[in-house]
Order: sequence, then structure tokens, then C-alpha cells
Amino acid sequence: MKSKYIEPFKIKVVEPISQIGRKERELILEKAGYNLFSVPADKVMIDLLTDSGTSAMSDNQWAGLMMGDESYAGSRNYYHFEETIQDIFGYKYVIPTHQGRVAENILCSIKVKKGHCIPNNIHFDTTRANIEHAGAKAVNCVIDEAYDTGIEHPFKGNMDLNKLEKVINEVGPENIPFCMITITNNSGGGQPVSLENIKQTKALVDKYNLPLLFDACRFAENAYFIKTREKAYEDWSIKEIAKEMFKYGNGCTMSAKKDGLVNIGGFLCLDNEQMADKVKNLLILVEGFPTYGGLAGRDLEAVARGLKEVLDENYLSFRIGQIKYLGDLLDEANVPYVKPTGGHAIYIDVKKFLPEIPQSEFPAQALVCELYLAGGIRSVEIGSLMFGYKDKETGEDVYPNLELLRLAIPRRVYTTAHIEFVAQTIIDVYNNKEKIKGLKLIYEADILRHFTAKLAPIES
Amino acid sequence: MGKLKKRSWAEPFKIKVVEPIKMTTREYRERVIEEAGYNTFLLKSEDVYIDLLTDSGTSAMSDYQWAGMMIGDEAYAGSKNFYNLEAAVRKFYGFKHLIPTHQGRGAEHILSQIMIKPGDIVPGNMYFTTTRHHQELAGGKFVDIIIDDAHNPDSEFAFKGNVDIEKLKKIIDEVGEKRVAYISLEGTVNMAGGQPFSMQNIKELYELCSKHGIPIMLDATRVIENAYFVKTREKGYEDKSIEEIVKEICSYCDGATMSSKKDHLVNIGGYLAVNDDNVAQKAREMVVIYEGLHTYGGISGRDMEAMARGIEEAAQFDHIRARIGQVEYLGNKLMEAEIPIVKPIGGHAIYLDAKKFLPHIPQEHFPAQALAAAIYIDSGVRSMERGIVSAGRNKETNDHHYPKLELVRLTIPRRVYTQAHMDVTAESIEAVLEERNKIKGLKFVYEPESLRFFQARFELLK
Repeated sequence: MKSKYIEPFKIKVVEPISQIGRKERELILEKAGYNLFSVPADKVMIDLLTDSGTSAMSDNQWAGLMMGDESYAGSRNYYHFEETIQDIFGYKYVIPTHQGRVAENILCSIKVKKGHCIPNNIHFDTTRANIEHAGAKAVNCVIDEAYDTGIEHPFKGNMDLNKLEKVINEVGPENIPFCMITITNNSGGGQPVSLENIKQTKALVDKYNLPLLFDACRFAENAYFIKTREKAYEDWSIKEIAKEMFKYGNGCTMSAKKDGLVNIGGFLCLDNEQMADKVKNLLILVEGFPTYGGLAGRDLEAVARGLKEVLDENYLSFRIGQIKYLGDLLDEANVPYVKPTGGHAIYIDVKKFLPEIPQSEFPAQALVCELYLAGGIRSVEIGSLMFGYKDKETGEDVYPNLELLRLAIPRRVYTTAHIEFVAQTIIDVYNNKEKIKGLKLIYEADILRHFTAKLAPIES
Repeated sequence: MGKLKKRSWAEPFKIKVVEPIKMTTREYRERVIEEAGYNTFLLKSEDVYIDLLTDSGTSAMSDYQWAGMMIGDEAYAGSKNFYNLEAAVRKFYGFKHLIPTHQGRGAEHILSQIMIKPGDIVPGNMYFTTTRHHQELAGGKFVDIIIDDAHNPDSEFAFKGNVDIEKLKKIIDEVGEKRVAYISLEGTVNMAGGQPFSMQNIKELYELCSKHGIPIMLDATRVIENAYFVKTREKGYEDKSIEEIVKEICSYCDGATMSSKKDHLVNIGGYLAVNDDNVAQKAREMVVIYEGLHTYGGISGRDMEAMARGIEEAAQFDHIRARIGQVEYLGNKLMEAEIPIVKPIGGHAIYLDAKKFLPHIPQEHFPAQALAAAIYIDSGVRSMERGIVSAGRNKETNDHHYPKLELVRLTIPRRVYTQAHMDVTAESIEAVLEERNKIKGLKFVYEPESLRFFQARFELLK
């Protein structure tokens, strides 16, 4: 069954995409070491590598770009940015950063010390990297259902309160500078967190006097799921739900490249003045003056306008509908993916898709390569290449539970016809999957190896 | 300057898009500067009439650059704009590896972390606020090796940005070449008044450093302006193009940090460029954590395209002549009115000598800070303190650093203001000079620990 959705906009500016043949793609892929991060963007037909920074902005946002006030200090765009964020998020202190990971980095530099522990539903990879870089431990406390790709649960991003309380008691509240919730839960398949769960989490951390911070990248998508899946909130507006969620936190980090509908930008919100002053002093050093934070004035304006647009229910019903539509098309051919469809991407379950390729041969990466060869589609591996590592003590390879391929859908960029083309390509590949070969590593960097790794097919 | 000052510097462009500016009254400005703690950084930009706070990120882009903004390729990996930028940097600067960063200090951060070990010495031709701070954060110690002339606002020496080779030799002898992380060499030295180094000087520096195996890292932020001075002041370079001169300078260096917000005529962006494969590899690993993936480094695709196009425009002789011509025009007007400024006139700004301007205010009462506030009150022109407040405190004694130069910087954004705006500015400063005895010193109300000039607050001394 296909779900119906309609774009609440028309197209105003277009960008041509290259149409190259399989032969040419084979050469490009070989040259790129079977790693799609190294393929030039103009050799990609449909780019589902990420939904981060890849949105189409509206004419209203582009008009905002032309209203950029590029003064070094006190730009009017900053005041609009601040006012908009205070209105939606409800936090008093708004600190712009050039993107989300810097908000995380600054927060960790100030609050996180060696030996600390930060619980989250599931940490995103840059959050984890920042926490570990500061010598602390990043612990995931998501409900068990999140790890079962076949189960349909409306809020698979929810925090498991028992797990969380256990962690707090084990490490001691004095070693937890703050607790986090990621909405929606990206690494767990873009799955939402319910408002009820947010409230319960808040009540629990209050018991131990711990601050609660949101990773708010996809807050509007999360709010839309609350509206459509949590009975008590069906008559609430998206903005009311957003305000209600953030009420239970002490601040948030945000990559505006997702639900800010922009190509660059992020921010950190706090409700504590002392902390905000510390953050601003560090910000100047690594980012920029507190009224621009390393962004052009025009980009602050685009964020302010984007945050207002993303609250539009018609937009969100299109956005979430488009993801679901791709899922429904895959269902028709029984292609295995993480269910239910999340807010920003489809995650194919590659253990089920390619059961004959062991994780030591990077099955998800092999499928990423095949989708590129078959249709010029760029997706990303979230499995043994991204998260696998050698155990320092035993020297054995350790692989993650989930072996996924993510198809992240940029916002407002691709049409229904593009989505159908993607589904058809995947289904064709699924029906001919015995041709797919595993891969072996030829080069890997010490950290974040998936960005620059080089691989080669294993010939049988 | 002789006959030169009569020579026209008419702009090699016409105006295509305008941005209205607000006019305010003196009473209004007196109130808002008090609210801003007598710190021009804390003014709202809409309360400013002519904004000479900085030339960083404040340029007017061309229609060609704006057209480039429309062909931004916002792909997370392998954006075509990255390849255009990489090609432009190779063509004009000649470095092998390019790592984009969201702005210059992002590149300084990464370079300092990779190249400096705790206890290392980093000699440089005068400090710059954020540069020194990143060097210290990495455990290094900055040592000033600029020639003495740079500290004398009246010296008319043509290349006040030069390195004093003897000072450097002494340091190498004292600490040993192994403890010198690299030479931090800045084109048109900002804190010295936008003063250039000569090609002769960098050649000598290169010779010495090669002998000791010490890398030279260029702060290339305004090196195109530096190249203009080489062309117009140094024998043997009058017939070389700006492009050739920039490339020759870079050929003596091992890498560069760049804030594209200056020379490159853009509002955001920067990069680290190096020749060494290992340094590049480390930088790419670090840039992912702090900035963004190595093919976008925390800037949007469209902004990389604007940078690539800006580099081409910035290296045009007609552009750079008009740019520096405008700065000279303002400087000459002020000199005619006998206003004390740093000589010779630099590349991107005019620096008022606040010690001479306000001899009745001792340095510990922040004369340059007080002068910047007074100019704002008179006309709504926003300038910046570059003196004792910017210099900060000595970490060991906790007393202020007392820099020889106590300056107010009037920085000219590129392609933004007209000749009439320059006239208004000069007239305002002349008016302030006439009433200077009424200007009072200041005292701190709030003093941040690091880079205090950005957010400090003051009140008038009684």
C-alpha cells in the first residue's frame, strides 16, 4: 500500500544532475577505492549520502540571504536568529556555531572531564567522538526494541529508564555532568522519542539533580511523530509540541543543517548564565564572535527563516510521507529495512539483505557500491566499516550489532519520480543479489576510518 | 606622497546592489555606547553609520561571486565547488594540499595543534590576538621578532613588517633549532598598522630557516595586499604581476593559514594549505572533528565557490590598487588635518596614534578605547581599539601588557564605502581632535579572562 503525500511547494530553481553510464561509474568507483565518500558529487545521480546541509532552501530563505548584515559585531540577523530560537526552544542563551559538532565540542570542552560518563538514548558518531576525545564514556540507554529491526514500535528512540537509572547508580551522579536525549534518534534509524518518555526521563534525572540536554537536530520531525502517534498531543501545533519537549531540558545542541533547512549553521542553547558566559569565551577562540559564531550574517538569517518553515505541518507531512512512501515501495518486494520508517532516512537491514556475506567482508559497504553501480545512487554504510574495530587486548575484530545501509533523504530536493527510481533500483539489486561480492580493506586511517578507507572486491 | 595623492583611485566597478544605513542623533549614540559599556564590539550594527570595525568578512561580493553562490553544490562529500577552490589555491598560492575551514582561526587552531609541542617557541613578526592564543593553547610560546621600526609609529620605513633576522638567529642560538616549532610569518602585519614585509626579507628568512630545518608558516590573510606593496615599493618587482609576487612569497613557505574574509572578498571561509603530505593527513583527520569533512571544512558549497572566484578577483592589479588607494586617500586626508596616524599608510586600515591624540589620558586609562567611543558618539563611525585592552594581561605578573602602540584602527571594508563616506570619516575625526580635552579615560566594569577586548565593559572615569 502506497501512502499519499504532496509537496506543499513548487520548484523555483533547479540544479541539473549528471547522467552517466554504468561503465563510467565502474571506473570511478574503482578509482575511489570502493568508498563513496571519495566519489565527486557530480558523478552521482541521486545523492542520499546525508540529509545534513543538503536541503533546498525556499525563496523566502534566499531572500533572507540577500538581507545578510555582515557586520562583525551586532548583526541584525543575529538578533532575528536569537529571537526565533528563544521563541521555539524557550532557552534564554543562544550561541551560534558554524555547525552542530562545534556546539557539542564546546559543551564537552567545558563540562566533560576524564572519567565522566554521558548517557543518551543513542549517541550520534560526532557526539560520541567529542565525549571520548574529552576522556569520558558515552553510554547508550535506548529501549531494547531499537535493536530489533523487524519490530514496529511507535517510539523506538525512547530512553530505557531502568538502564538509565542503573548507569547513574553504577558510575555515581557526581560523574555525570549531564544526560542527553537525541531527537529523533539518528543512529537507531531516525526513530522518535515520545513526550511521555521525555517527561519520565526528566523526572528521573531530577531525582539525581542532573541537567538534561537535547541533541535537537531533527526536533520538528520528532514533534510530528508525537503529534501523529501520541494521542494526548493530536490537537497540538508542532510549535506547541516543540516548546513542550524543550521545557523538560536545560538546553540543546543543534545542527541547523537538518531541521533548520539550511546548508550551513548550528547553535547551542542554555538556560544557565554562568555556563553561557564560559561558552562564549571559548566560542570566540574556536568559532567567532558571539553574534556570528563563525557564520555569515546571511546564514543566520536563513536559519531563522528555516526554523519557522520547518514547523509547518504540511511540510512535515510531506517530509515524513516521502520517507514512508519509499518504505512502502520496498515493502512490495519484501526488501528488509528498519521498521517503522523513521523521520529522515530508510535504513536497509543488510544482515538480512545479504545474509551470505559475513561482516568481515563489509556487506553493507558492498551494497552501497552496488547501488551506485546500478543507479548512480549514493548511500552510506553504517556497519562494520564505520563502527568495526580491533580489540586492543585480544586483537580480534569486533563488529556492531546492526549492519545497515542508510538512504538519507535531503529535504525538499527530490521528487516522487526520483524516489520511485531509487526503489526500483534497490528492488532490481535485491532480485540479483547473488552477484554481489564482499570487500576487503586496503587502507584505513587511525580514526573515523570510513571517510577515507580504500577497499577492493574479493574475487572468488 | 608628493604628486601621488592627487592621482585618482576610481573604483574598477560600479554598484549593483545597495544596503540602506540608518542615521542616528548624537543623544541616541551617547546612550547606546554607554549601554554597550564603551566597547564598540558590543554595539548593534544597525546603530552604526559607517562601520570601520573590521575588514574581515565585510566585503561586498561581485555579481560574479553571487552567481557562484547560485551554483553551490551542497553535497556532503566531493562538492564540485571544493575542486574549484582547490584549483584556485594551487594556481594563485601554489600549495599542494588544501583543507578548507569555516574561517581563519579554524585553520590556526588545527595548525597549532599539529605543529606545536608543549615548550616550543613560535617566533613571529608581531603577535595577532587569535593566532597567539592558539599557539599558547597548544603549549607554545610566541616570541616577537619583528624589526624595531614596527613599534615606532613615526618611522616611515617602507617594510615595517620585516623580520629582524638577527633577533631570530639569537633565539635559535638560545633555545636550539629543535625547539622552534615554525616561524609564524604574517603578510601586511595587522598589529603594526597593516605593514608589509619585503621579498628581500623573506628570502633571507628562508635561507636561515632552511639551514636549520625550521618551517615557515605564512599567515596569508592579507598577502595579496603585501604583494601590492612589494610591487610598488621594491626594486625589481615593478613589472611583475600580483599573481607572480604572491606565488614567489609562497614558494619560500611550507604552508599557510588563510582567513578568506579579508583578501578573498568573501563573508565567510578560510583554509589551511600545506605542502607536507603527513601534515596534510593529520589536518584532514582533525578537520573532521572541529570543522567538517575535508571536502567542505564547515563552509557551504556556495561559499567555497565564492572564495574560488574571489581569489581570481583579488589578484587583479586594478582591484588591489583601488583598494589600497582608498585607504591612502583617507590617510592622506587625516595627515593634511595633522591627525597623528601610524606611518606609512598600511594596506587595510588607518591607525590613529591614541597616545598622541589624547596625551592627557595615561595608558592604564585606555586612551584608544576612549577615543573609539568618542568617534562613535561624534558621527556613528565604528572603529576598534588596538592597544592595551587588546594586548591583555601578562600570565605571570597578572599586570597589563603595555604595548608601545596604543592605536585606534579604522578598517576599510573592501568595495563597500564611497569617497564621500571617507570624507565624512575624516571630518568626524578632525572634529573629535578639536574637542579632545573633553574626552575622559575609562575603567573596567567587566573583564573577560581571554581575548578581553571582544566583550569587555567599561565606564567613564569621574
